[in-house]
Amino acid sequence: MKELVRLTDVTKVYQGGITGALNGVSLAVEKGEFTAIMGPSGSGKSTMLNLVAGLDRPTSGSVSVSGTDLGKLGETGLARFRRDHIGFVFQFFYLLPNLTALENVLIPAQLKGDGSTDRGRELLEKLGIADVADRYPARLSGGQQQRVAVARALINNPTLLLADEPTGALDTHTGEQVMELLGDLHREGQTILLVTHDAKLATRHAARVISVMDGKIVDDARLASPERAPSEVIRMRSEEKLR
Amino acid sequence: MRAVLVKTLADLRRRRLQAAVIFLTVLFAMAAGTTAVTLMSQTRDPYQIAFDKQRGAHLQVAFNATTDRQLMSNTPALIGASASGGPYPASNIQFRFGDRKFYVDAVGRDNPGGAVEVLSITSGRWPLANDEIVLTRSFSELNRISVGDRLKVTSVAQTPSLTVVGEVVDIDEGSADLSSQRAWMLPAALPALSTPDSSFYLMDYRFPTDPTSAQLQSSLDRLKTSLPAGSVAGSLNYLLIRSIFNITNQILTGVLVAFSVFALAATIAIVATLVTGIVISAYREIGIMRAIGFTPYQVVEVFALQIVIPALAACLVGVTAGTLASQPLLANSSHALGLAYTPTFSIGLDVLFLFGGLLVVAVAATVPALRAAQLKPIVAITKASAPRGAGGRLLRQGAARLRLPRPVVLGIGDAFARPLRAILTLVTVLLGVATIVVAVGLPRSFELINNSETGAGNYQVIVTRTSAYPDSEVMRLLNAQPQTARVVAVGGQNVIVPGVGDPVNTHLFRGDSSRLGYMVVAGRWYSAPGEVVAPAALIRDAHLKIGDSFTGTANGQPLQLRLVGETYDINNLGHSLFMDISTMASVTPAVEPFLYDITLTHGSDVSSYVRRVATAQPDLLDVRASDTSLIAPVKIIDLVLLILAGVLGLIGVGGVFNTLLLNTRERIRDTATLKSLGMSPRQVVVMVGASAGLLALVGGLAAMPLGLTLHHLLNDAISGSAGNDTPPAAYGVFAAWELTAIPLAGVVVAIAAAMIPGRWAARSNVVEVLHAE
Repeated sequence: MKELVRLTDVTKVYQGGITGALNGVSLAVEKGEFTAIMGPSGSGKSTMLNLVAGLDRPTSGSVSVSGTDLGKLGETGLARFRRDHIGFVFQFFYLLPNLTALENVLIPAQLKGDGSTDRGRELLEKLGIADVADRYPARLSGGQQQRVAVARALINNPTLLLADEPTGALDTHTGEQVMELLGDLHREGQTILLVTHDAKLATRHAARVISVMDGKIVDDARLASPERAPSEVIRMRSEEKLR
Repeated sequence: MRAVLVKTLADLRRRRLQAAVIFLTVLFAMAAGTTAVTLMSQTRDPYQIAFDKQRGAHLQVAFNATTDRQLMSNTPALIGASASGGPYPASNIQFRFGDRKFYVDAVGRDNPGGAVEVLSITSGRWPLANDEIVLTRSFSELNRISVGDRLKVTSVAQTPSLTVVGEVVDIDEGSADLSSQRAWMLPAALPALSTPDSSFYLMDYRFPTDPTSAQLQSSLDRLKTSLPAGSVAGSLNYLLIRSIFNITNQILTGVLVAFSVFALAATIAIVATLVTGIVISAYREIGIMRAIGFTPYQVVEVFALQIVIPALAACLVGVTAGTLASQPLLANSSHALGLAYTPTFSIGLDVLFLFGGLLVVAVAATVPALRAAQLKPIVAITKASAPRGAGGRLLRQGAARLRLPRPVVLGIGDAFARPLRAILTLVTVLLGVATIVVAVGLPRSFELINNSETGAGNYQVIVTRTSAYPDSEVMRLLNAQPQTARVVAVGGQNVIVPGVGDPVNTHLFRGDSSRLGYMVVAGRWYSAPGEVVAPAALIRDAHLKIGDSFTGTANGQPLQLRLVGETYDINNLGHSLFMDISTMASVTPAVEPFLYDITLTHGSDVSSYVRRVATAQPDLLDVRASDTSLIAPVKIIDLVLLILAGVLGLIGVGGVFNTLLLNTRERIRDTATLKSLGMSPRQVVVMVGASAGLLALVGGLAAMPLGLTLHHLLNDAISGSAGNDTPPAAYGVFAAWELTAIPLAGVVVAIAAAMIPGRWAARSNVVEVLHAE
């Protein structure tokens, strides 16, 4: 399979070097993969996602996505890159409160100059929330808001869908629905990079689980069939590595 | 209280930019207001002080030179005057100093003292010989004539020379730049300088208490009816002179009061916007404060004090600056009145103004801060900021339908996302742009009126002849000049108009006077003998309307006149008549012009023309280029307007800037989200700029009618104070493109101001912002 994301010896240091979020991480993600990055709070998993999205820059090392070295892009270049290649789903949805669901979905396309609403409506339909298209975020449930966020992430047909704890702000049932949705997208060929601290969710849906601890990758498990890979196996493997 | 102060000071340090905005807006408002209040409180007093000190005349009456002296001496008792001066012999003389000629009323007096009209000698001494003269200091300073200078009298054939031996301040006449002036000589010196048609007697009357205008008119009427007809040639009262003295300060005070109210209103809008914005964005902080023991009202105190502290500093500086700024104007008044200048201010008034201003700001800050007190701690702590609704939705949808770029659409929606804040911002923009409209328009109106009064663009040279040089010779001389394109000759004679107390000065024209540039306010310019035009004050006092016929009296004979139009003329505060000289010739066949307005052929050199004509008869003709420059008071008013427009404009820009800062900070998470979705830094700047542009555009468009109305009202007030109605042309001083360009310029400035918050938002780190949430 074709390589889509590559992190090479990436280090990220915050607060003037006192704390390190990532420490010499190297990683490759292939096109079509559903990869989960797992780890406890502060392990560096969200930092990794932010670097891949071009929202942040590494202190050292390089990040390339779709053959583009993100370090060589300026702010405007990175913005264009995100528009063209990345879809981002946040834990807290981050919908714009003064725009309707449909308007939120359409924003990335409109930033590219695409004024059509067809694909937005199509996505809302596909995600089962067409009936709330004209509602404002404040009047949507958490699950509905996250589906809108997913639709927004998909509007520009991104090469890579990034999801940072997409179920973190949802109840179990709704979180499961969102993960099913991501699974469906993956089956349709979408490359997904998921950050979660929920091992159960990760192993149930992802084909590859990368464990991060203290800014380092401590495990990288490729599972032939996610359904047959119990989360307990991953947990045990992680614990073994740490010992 | 300590905790409140500690928290307030910490917040102030964090919000330095907002504190600076508050400081500057309050400073400007207080400085303008204090200047106005100080002027208002002082302008009435100095004249009264000087009037009492110099025993000023409540009424001055000019009597015909043939009036019996004994009859004149009996007049004080006739009208109940408690003191009088005169009758003094007087004569209108012309003299030459350098290459310039001047007219003054030379009055014969033995000494500067007396029961009425004490002349305060400010330089030199009183005349001791017949070839000595004393001038007013105002006249000397304006024309750069000093004690010791010699003047050549050109109104009589002998052309005697006089030496200036002193300068005085006369409380009974206006300043030289606004009124004709007197000069004093020994009574024995006057006969040699007088001609029969230029001589008169002057008497001063003082009453036990300050009379009203009606009482003065009644006294004058009694004089006229008690003396032979035509004895009273003219009069002047202290009310008119006081208004001439105070007119500049009065107009300035009016302008300053209006704009300090504007500035204060803008300040209230900015303060309310700021505090509302701070409270909205600090919910979590409010919750934490409440959780650790702040009472609701301590929370309010923290937010209100953040405004009150910089406002207090601004009030202190502003009141001091305003008091200082008013001093040159007050010093100018004192100087003109012959009073020693001492710094004049009222500590009580300053303190009152300081606390008044502070109270207004404190209320403007406290009312929106009360919202913080009403918040339940747990609600506040669980929400980072106030919930944002769907404000601006309609605008956004409208903009989207226009297929504008998405950042522009979003920016337009953001502008009105918080309607109250948007409205308050519009108020600051509205006031700023309206002031600019007035500051642009009023000087143009002044210039237009000044041009009509000075003939700018219509004639370039003015020649005045003495009676020793006949009219026919002047015309021959002028017509002999190849550069002379047109000559309009002007004469004058008083006419008694029914209903008007004093004889009315007439402008009698020979030639095409309609091309001299006088503005017609209503009706039309005269076109036939018997037709007259007049300014508003005369029309009003004579209870006339355009089209009315009336009978005046000139030279003791009835003169049939018909009012065909209203013109603008500030001389004699709107009491004058304009007509063809042939109209007057019917009752005074000998009437002749003495002044000539000359239009030169295109491309002529005015200076060489003036030199050539002047050298023909240096003593008998006064030849000068028409002085079209603005008088000093108008220049001062223009300057003050310009400064005020700059200040209010800055406050307007500050309002937009402040709102954008609040909006941008409040929406930084949304902006970060947009950036994470691919919005480029440039698009972020465009989004913020669109917000600014829309606010400025709406405020600017709304401000245009307000500014034009204010311009209209100020024109009317100023024209009215000089006895005139505003000519329509003085209203319409804006080109159509300017009415569009002014609000658009506001948009450009607002967008430029938006660059700072816009670039800040564009540079914000998405990860840090979203992580902080």
